[in-house]
Amino acid sequence: MLRFAVRRIVLLVPVIVGLSLLIFAIARLLPGDPVTLAAGPNATQAEIADLAREFGLDQPLPVQYWHYATGLVTGDWGQSIFTRRPVLEDLKAYLPATLELVVVAMVLAIVIGIPAGLLAAVYRDRWPDYVSRVVSLGAISMPRFFLGLLLQLGLAMWLGWLPLGGRFPLTEDPPPFVTGFLTIDSLWAGDPHAFGVALAYLALPAFATCLSPLATITRMMRATTLEVLQQDYVLTERALGLSQRLIIFKYVLKNAMSSTLTVIGLYFGWLLGGTVLVETVFDWPGIGLYATKAIVTQDFMPVMGVTLTIGVLFVAVNLVVDLLYGLLNPKVRYE
Amino acid sequence: MSASATPDARASAVAARRQNWRRAAYRFQQSWLSIVGLAIVVLLFVAAVAGPSLVPYPADIAGGINTATRFEAPSIAHLFGTNELGQDVFTLVIAGARISLLSGVAVVVLGALAGTIVGALAGYYGGWTDEILMRIADLKLTLPSLILAMAVAAALGAGLVNTIIAIALTWWPGYARLVRGEVIAKKEELFVQVAQALGAGTGRILRRHILPNIVSPIIVKMSLDMGFAILTVASLGFIGIGVKPPTPEWGSLLSIARNYMPDYWWTAMFPGLAIFLAVFGFNLLGDGLRDVLDPRARR
Amino acid sequence: MFNLTRRQSLTGATALVASAAMGGRAAHAQAKRILVIASNQDIPNFDPHIATGYSASMLLRNTYDSLVRTEGTPPKPVPQLAASWTASADGTEYVFKLDPAARFHDGTPVTAEAVRYSFNRLLRLNKGNAWMVAGIVDENSVQPVDAATVKIRLVKPFAAFLQVLPWLWIVNPKAVDANKGSDDGQTYLRSTIAGSGAWRVRRAEAGNLYEFERVEGGWQQGGGNLTGAIWKIVRETSTQRLMVGRGEAHIAVDLTSEDMDALKGRPGVVSIIEPEYRTFSIKMNTRHGPLADINLRRAVSWAFNYQAMLDAAGYAQLMTGPLPDGILGFDPTLAVPRMNLDKAKEFLAKSDYAKGGIKLVMNYVSGLDQQRRWGLVLLDSLRKLGIELDIKPMIWPDMVASARSPETCPDFFPVYQTANYGDPDNIAFAAYHSSRNGGWQNPVYSSPKVDDLIIRARSETDEAKRKELYVAFQKAVVEDAPDIFGVLEKRKLAMRSDVQNFHFTPVASNAIELFPLSLK
Repeated sequence: MLRFAVRRIVLLVPVIVGLSLLIFAIARLLPGDPVTLAAGPNATQAEIADLAREFGLDQPLPVQYWHYATGLVTGDWGQSIFTRRPVLEDLKAYLPATLELVVVAMVLAIVIGIPAGLLAAVYRDRWPDYVSRVVSLGAISMPRFFLGLLLQLGLAMWLGWLPLGGRFPLTEDPPPFVTGFLTIDSLWAGDPHAFGVALAYLALPAFATCLSPLATITRMMRATTLEVLQQDYVLTERALGLSQRLIIFKYVLKNAMSSTLTVIGLYFGWLLGGTVLVETVFDWPGIGLYATKAIVTQDFMPVMGVTLTIGVLFVAVNLVVDLLYGLLNPKVRYE
Repeated sequence: MSASATPDARASAVAARRQNWRRAAYRFQQSWLSIVGLAIVVLLFVAAVAGPSLVPYPADIAGGINTATRFEAPSIAHLFGTNELGQDVFTLVIAGARISLLSGVAVVVLGALAGTIVGALAGYYGGWTDEILMRIADLKLTLPSLILAMAVAAALGAGLVNTIIAIALTWWPGYARLVRGEVIAKKEELFVQVAQALGAGTGRILRRHILPNIVSPIIVKMSLDMGFAILTVASLGFIGIGVKPPTPEWGSLLSIARNYMPDYWWTAMFPGLAIFLAVFGFNLLGDGLRDVLDPRARR
Repeated sequence: MFNLTRRQSLTGATALVASAAMGGRAAHAQAKRILVIASNQDIPNFDPHIATGYSASMLLRNTYDSLVRTEGTPPKPVPQLAASWTASADGTEYVFKLDPAARFHDGTPVTAEAVRYSFNRLLRLNKGNAWMVAGIVDENSVQPVDAATVKIRLVKPFAAFLQVLPWLWIVNPKAVDANKGSDDGQTYLRSTIAGSGAWRVRRAEAGNLYEFERVEGGWQQGGGNLTGAIWKIVRETSTQRLMVGRGEAHIAVDLTSEDMDALKGRPGVVSIIEPEYRTFSIKMNTRHGPLADINLRRAVSWAFNYQAMLDAAGYAQLMTGPLPDGILGFDPTLAVPRMNLDKAKEFLAKSDYAKGGIKLVMNYVSGLDQQRRWGLVLLDSLRKLGIELDIKPMIWPDMVASARSPETCPDFFPVYQTANYGDPDNIAFAAYHSSRNGGWQNPVYSSPKVDDLIIRARSETDEAKRKELYVAFQKAVVEDAPDIFGVLEKRKLAMRSDVQNFHFTPVASNAIELFPLSLK
């Protein structure tokens, strides 16, 4: 087990190198001339050349990649060509917001999805099953930005129960930085008011984000539970008079864990990149919004930074998920 | 079919295939959700093909405006109301079906084509080719596809074709993986071995013997992907990196209409519902098709 | 909480959330009196001699001071750093007496030397607002007489000199010199304030918000009761409007006509809809492509559906020629094209494209919905001439890049021009003088006759003669049909009624000046 873990971690290195190479290649293959754009309306040719030199864009591609790669290691992720701010600093500022949103959405999905899937399996081909299937397909099909707008329209504009968007009231100072998660930081600071406020701001974006993983987890839970219920040993135990409730708790729990893990592995990276839409609708100051702005201005250092961060997080989370699988189910053989 | 098949064997194979289809059709009919999905999809195709000749204000599709009737609420004359330039929202939404279907199909077909080529080569040759192609595909799968598609689309500039290319570029790895697996499995089967022994070339073996036998999982994946392809096109439109005006693309209609909420809610509601309905229809249909064509995946 | 029934805990949570979201914030804000302004423009650079755009102007005019401020309708120069001033009769020499109380944030007095330092830095960098005094002020113009007196000798007379001064800010030479680096302090000033304004930046979150706080012991006397202000970036205008409606923001600065209509009669909200010198026109490529043909340009000008443009614009009025209504020298009797298809077809027949059948290109700034609408109006109008239009959304920097040469410039190039100073020279020079070719304000149009009129009018000191020159200028421009003269959009601001002492000025009124404002 330990050897396996170490091996997997060592194997991450080429993956990350590959990611950086791929991202670099994509960024450089794109058309568009960010330097001219950044130099501004009145720049002369000489000024444009100066700027290109300053950003090292006049050098051959391998050299540029070498600079980029060594920079990644030493904490220099380049700077935005427009705001001139270091990308790593920006990422540190914006990533916690997105992580908090994704984690809360995942928790929501798991907390709702597991019982829903169980119900659907137990009541197979009866109305709870149909409802959960239609609803989960509907949830997958629902464009998150449209759902976001509807939630905004209903709960924020018409009813006025929840804030329209943003992460924290403008005129208040957020709790002191500990984890960057406002919910945790406010509790840490012993400020229940700030905690409530942070939750109120989180509610709608988190709900809009959680739908896809929720639907997937529901469907997976249903499928695995059905499988379990049809296993010989379960049928035997049932024949022996064990109540269905007990059987479900006995066998299904483990399945719940593993389908949860699978969904986390599947969705974590996807959600990190996919929150763009929700962040746009709710003006959530995360990396999605940051990336969108950079994309629109063709400012590629921030875009590369965001993509790489998401890629690395995705790989790392999947590694953790794989290791947990092993702990959970020792029968899984490590190659 | 391999060269050595007798006419008898061929006939029985055809009969078996026909029977499979019949069974499949029966299974499909059993699931009313799939039927609903099929109905929605058929409706969409009708709208896409005949839409422009059915709508009440065909001039609006190409950008015709009528500023005397701006922001009228839904009525008999304007089923879905009118927008900021007095265009009929119903007309625009119906016309949008063609754009969305076309781009959805284009994305999926391009993605499947590229993925199939990559996957087939990787699976057939194995070794280094496989290693390199699949590592790239794996890496690609770890990157946020929406952000990548946005970046590519923004760099290429606005326009439907550019949007399609940008999305298709992030779409192929799934197919590559799928095809590679199938090719590796099929490669070992007898009829391929025989064809190889008879001296058929690589291209021919792939084209004539392997690919036709793995079409159904590809089709299942394509039908499952259609909904998401449409959704992704709409997402780019919503972000504002998408089509050029006056193209009535649902996502961009919604993105414009966002500014008129809540007072002129109809300008946003109907394009949004159209996206949802289209994606929902394809997902229902794809789910049904998967149950039918790929019974292994049935649960 | 765990002992409660589910329903109880649910209601409890809702109440907690509701009170937290609503009541708490209001109570908090009241104690601190923080004004929230919703805007869709970020402030990427704080350098007073580089940054442009109304958001940067807002930041700079509050954190820095200039020799004079601008106030009232029509805008008049009033003292800021300069307590008083005199001008020579020929309009080439100004002497400013600085306010002896004026201090930079670090306590150093604002001296004549600081004025010289700032002007020369502006000219040296030649970015930002340097164009306003290009050819008027050079590196020898600003001469300190003593610590509190500064003389500015103009290279040639410039009627609008006092009008541009509010946009030329004075930096603290001590602070800049200490952080000069190799780029004249550009890196330092990009994110640091070295000014004497009544406000300083307390919190800057790029792309999200900028918070200001009143400088303690600032040299300015009086002013409103605000303790702070927040410039919040809100991209959607509808969201800006809702924020003002709900009291989450006090002022929204980018509202559309639809937003204003939606806010009408809303309790607690004041709507400000005022004419401003902000023109919108669609420039045509007079040098390259089909529109180099003057008859085609005329045909387009006569075919354009001006009424539809006005309808789509909401609170606006159609422009009569190149200059905004009411500005000095504006000629209300000028004959300009209005939609008349017969006339349009007449001109089309005279052009090389009598049968139509061509496809023209218009670029617009993606996300600027108003421009998209007008693009569609143009598309609809051109169809009647048998001309197709390709409308391409583009990011602003790409638009600017395309303006560089006649070959890269699209056939139609839509442009807003916001006057920084209420003088016809602002628009005439920036938008029609050939020296500006290659820039977004005037990509291609060049006419020796118009150039001559602009230059003469610029340095003419006699007002009556100046007016005459501008009348001739307007006529000459309309004759050439370089633009589809569009609309003068009204400035649309929404404000909570508890914001007090706001006085509208028709120049850069969206770059809110915080000093006089109070919150009830």
